[in-house]
Amino acid sequence: MATSLVRQTKLLSIVTSQFNSAACFRNIHCTAACLKNRAARIRVGKGDKSVTYEQAYHPHDIGHRKGWLSQHTSNLQGEDEAAERVVEDVFIRRFMYGTFHNCLADEVVIKRRGNLLVICAMMIQKLLPSKFYFLIGYSEELLSHFYKCPVKIEMQTVEEKVVYKYL
Amino acid sequence: MAASMTSVWGVRVLSKIIHGHLLPAAAVRHQTVRSRFLHTAPVSSSAVSVSEEPDVLYQRLSVRVKGHDKAVLDSYEFFATLAAQELGLNLQKAFEAPKHIDKLTLLKSVHIFKKHRVQYEMRTHYRCIQLSRVTGSSARVYLEYIERNLPEGVAMEVTKTAVEKIPEHIQKPLWDDGKQETPSQ
Repeated sequence: MATSLVRQTKLLSIVTSQFNSAACFRNIHCTAACLKNRAARIRVGKGDKSVTYEQAYHPHDIGHRKGWLSQHTSNLQGEDEAAERVVEDVFIRRFMYGTFHNCLADEVVIKRRGNLLVICAMMIQKLLPSKFYFLIGYSEELLSHFYKCPVKIEMQTVEEKVVYKYL
Repeated sequence: MAASMTSVWGVRVLSKIIHGHLLPAAAVRHQTVRSRFLHTAPVSSSAVSVSEEPDVLYQRLSVRVKGHDKAVLDSYEFFATLAAQELGLNLQKAFEAPKHIDKLTLLKSVHIFKKHRVQYEMRTHYRCIQLSRVTGSSARVYLEYIERNLPEGVAMEVTKTAVEKIPEHIQKPLWDDGKQETPSQ
């Protein structure tokens, strides 16, 4: 770790000294100034990390190779209440992650059709079907009481996580 | 749900009669369905509502849908135009308005590095479907069907242009009555 840090600082000092001699005083901060965006990306590694389709493609591929995880109308031009939808979405994702412990195969997709809230989830076949049905009913009931709107959970189970590639 | 379905069928028959596109096969099918309901329960009499007042006439019914995904809007336009053709409504035009892009430029880093920013954009695509010369009841039926099948993430705006009679106090111009107006000071 220390050797790689020293190597990176040396690289940074070589690069920055060519542009501006004053910047080589920033040798310790070898982060955002030189590296690209880091949001929602899994960095390429040794080749042992399995990655799903959703994780493999980066945010600039949304609309081209990826779809939208949360579909509602508040981000369109002339529509409002975007922040409320975002807060609801964050809560729903944490709720699903916690209720179905270690069972989620991929990200939860949230769709809003009028008043109806549809939560689509892909699960690994870790629990018995009866337990899945109980948890679906429990989450639907709780979330509909919480958000005062009908909530439907559409679930699909897979034997194991679908791997797209290894990074 | 069943009551609304029967009312939709009933109103659809009424709209077909108004348009004059009454297909005999469809009419017979509707009548046999209604006779079956007559045998089971006396609800079919309330399914078709006939009122004395004349139906509202719309010169133009403009439906504008907006969404983030162009492919979704494409398929919705196909669905809406097909529904209009099946119901016998006149489709004036179905076109694509230019898209609107909202751009944000934010700082990339949490603390400093003002020179390094990140740009996000939100694209809104539009589709317009215009129907001409629609009656009020058929407009209601068509819009209900269209609205119930709106995909998620798509918003819709409807503009109706109604045709009304000129109100009585404007029908004749004031100078035709022969009244002499006193000059105001």
